[in-house]
Formats: sequence, C-alpha cells, structure tokens
Amino acid sequence: MFINWALQEINLKIVYYGPGMSGKTTNLEYIHSKLDPSLTGELVTLKTKEDRTIFFDFMQIEVGRIKGKKPKFNLYTVPGQVYYASSRKIILNGVDGIVFVADSQRDRMEGNIETLLDLEKNLMSSGFSLETFPWVIQYNKRDLPNAESIAMLEKKLNASSIRSNPLLTWWFSTCKDNSDLLI
Amino acid sequence: MVQVKKLKDGSRQVILTAQQFDEITKVLSELAAKTKAFTILLADISGQLITQRGNTEDINTAILSALAASDFAATSEMAKLVGEDAKFKLLFHEGDKRNVYLSNIGDNFFLVVVFDVSVTLGLVRIYTKKAIQSLLKIFEESEQGDDASKIIDKDFSTMLGDMLDESFK
Repeated sequence: MFINWALQEINLKIVYYGPGMSGKTTNLEYIHSKLDPSLTGELVTLKTKEDRTIFFDFMQIEVGRIKGKKPKFNLYTVPGQVYYASSRKIILNGVDGIVFVADSQRDRMEGNIETLLDLEKNLMSSGFSLETFPWVIQYNKRDLPNAESIAMLEKKLNASSIRSNPLLTWWFSTCKDNSDLLI
Repeated sequence: MVQVKKLKDGSRQVILTAQQFDEITKVLSELAAKTKAFTILLADISGQLITQRGNTEDINTAILSALAASDFAATSEMAKLVGEDAKFKLLFHEGDKRNVYLSNIGDNFFLVVVFDVSVTLGLVRIYTKKAIQSLLKIFEESEQGDDASKIIDKDFSTMLGDMLDESFK
C-alpha cells in the first residue's frame, strides 16, 4: 500500500496468481471490458508469440474519491508456467492482496497445488504467510465437463482453512463467460 | 524518514507526507530543467507511481512505472545469478530517439529519466546522482504522517465496495 498525502491517493497492488492457463489474464481482460473506460487505463499484456503471459499483465482502476481520498487499484497477473518462478517472485513485490485463480479441471489439481506451494514459498521469503495475508481463491472453469467438485477443491486447496477468517477470505466460482459469479 | 510499516497481515505500507511530496516535486522539477529530460518519474519498488515531471501527456506513466519496477526487480535477480551481492544501482536503455535511465533511491524507490538522444548521458548521470542525494535526504526527514488505519475504516471499506460494484457496466 502506498499512501500519498499530498495527492490524497491510496495505491493498492492486487496480484492474480495461479497455474498456467487457469484464466488469470482472462480475469483482467473481463474486468477491463466491463469497467467504465473512464475509470480504467490501458491493459498491458506481455505475451509470448503463443499468447502466454511472459512477465505480467497490468491495469489500473480508479473509482473516484471516497471521503476525499482517491483509491487506485493496480492489478497484475503472473506468468503461470513453472519455469517463470523468478518472474512470479518479482511481481509479488509490494503486493497488498492476492487472487489465486485455480483451474477446476480434475487433471489440473496437481498444477493448482504446485502453484499454491510456490505462492506460499514466495510469500514466506518476504516474511508473509498465507495464514494471515489477504487472499481469495477463485475456482475457475466451473462449466467444463471434467470440473472437480467444490468440496474436493476446498479440501485440496483450502487446507489452511482461510475461511476461518471470513473478513479476509472467501471463495467464488466462475463459468467460462464469467456470468455466474458466486460470492 | 518515509514511513515503511509492516502491517499485521505482513503487507507493506509506505506513507509519504505532503511536505515530503512538495520537496520531491521541487527536486524533480530542477532535474527536468537541468537535463532537459523528456519525462521523469519517481516510483516505489512495487511499481506505484509517486510523481512525474516533464511530458507526461504522451506517455502512460502508470504503465511505465509498473514496467520499470519489474525491469529493476528482474535485473536484481540477474545480479544475484551472476554473483553480485548487492542490486544493480542503475539501468540504461538506449534507443534511436530516446534513452531511458533508471536509478534506485535507497531500497524502496527508483527514478526513471527519459531523455532524447541529443542529450548526453554524462549530463543525465551527473544531475541524476545529485537529485538522488537530495531525495535520500528528504526520505530521511522524520515528519510523521497519519496512520492508514485512521482513514481506511469500516465505513470507507463499505463505500469503496459500493463504488466498485457501481463501476461495472
């Protein structure tokens, strides 16, 4: 969080984290397409030729003034592939909140767990812990035929019972067209 | 000193007072005048833009500071890989029309100077170095600002949530 008293600005950094192809960039693209253009800046995506995120995606949201203060959200994604571990660590620098985008497909469970462990390791290296850090899990791709049950995803990915702190954490699921958002 | 606090959840909170901001702006204006830089940005290492000087109409400076922070962070990892104990202090990108000079200011901030190729690098280096010394002094000043918890209360959070909901088409 960066607070600039002269400009009355409160800057927050939110990072979308998750395994490769789980839909992190799609999340940002969706938000960008649905927000009033006057509130959001350009969506920057650093992609490979194959359309995979190579470093990060970035966009900024401003919602106007609240009690004279101007909150600004800086949204980032990380590259999901295992070999971009250093890039993920870099993007977590100064993070205020994390959205973990899990892939609901049964055969992606291992990838979800691996990435969650990678997140935990990276947070711990900066002195943070998943037990206390503000983060949410998004169970994405609920509309695919091989989607795992929410109960199983909860059991495998929410082992630290982040719901024990309901103020900071909750879960929601999305469909391909993101129209079915449950919180 | 710029307040850098670690909150209960482990996240970092950086607070800049109005006086510090005014002083920083003055230093950057001087730097812009002396180097004839196209654009100058001051950002924090997480990529959040603090202030800017020069031509900021034609450049999306929020994106530039996010990219520059990542550029810096990436080279810090590179420094580790090649056996450097400390971070690289500066980065220089040479273009056909414009060059970009990035330099860190202590552990929490960095400066981006975008300048035309007609301006010599030596000139930018000298004045940037001087500006960094002044900025470090400003950051060390001990004025305390208000704590964020005083403004981000439950009421604020509810209003912010409502405004975010309304922001979607």
